[in-house]
Amino acid sequence: MPIDNEIRRLRFENGEMTQAALAEKVGVTRQTIIAIEQNKYAPSLEAAFKIADAFGVPLESVFHWKKD
Amino acid sequence: MSFREKSAWIALLAYGGVFGAYFVALWRSWDPAIGQPLSIGLLVAAMVGFVIIVTALTIIAALLNPSAANAPADEREKLIDLKAERAASYTLSAGVLLSMAGLLMALNGFLIANVLLTSLVAAELVKAGWQIASFRMGA
Repeated sequence: MPIDNEIRRLRFENGEMTQAALAEKVGVTRQTIIAIEQNKYAPSLEAAFKIADAFGVPLESVFHWKKD
Repeated sequence: MSFREKSAWIALLAYGGVFGAYFVALWRSWDPAIGQPLSIGLLVAAMVGFVIIVTALTIIAALLNPSAANAPADEREKLIDLKAERAASYTLSAGVLLSMAGLLMALNGFLIANVLLTSLVAAELVKAGWQIASFRMGA
């Protein structure tokens, strides 16, 4: 997957936010958050913005595109 | 396990179990002399049994987690559904082509109908299997 993310770290820095709580904020299932966090599924742009918004950070602080 | 994965398991078990039993029973009752056993009752029983099993298991799954059952599918679940449907459509298409070949070979209508039913069941098994594999792999 060419897209990496900082979701695990951001959850830790936000009071160890649970995957279920993040899923609730984003409007997806907990399983989808797990898949995104483990780089098994690349979210849509809308879901990516919602995840960034849940942490109160810009999109590029959550997701990184690995060029190679 | 998400509600939709549970639903896929229910479909896999119900289609595999009920129609597996149907085809085994059909095979055993096949009479080469007649060529066409009386199986309308068997088919109706299989369909009624299938509906009862799927309905009962789905209600149980929904009662165990009502909020998940009522929630709409999210983007990943929709994508998994679409990919599973595509794989199932290939299976169904292959079955239809096989049935057409059967027609050209002048097989009897009963046999053609069961080839089509097999294709339908196989397509649903492929769909459910694809969904489960995708959910398990996190794709």
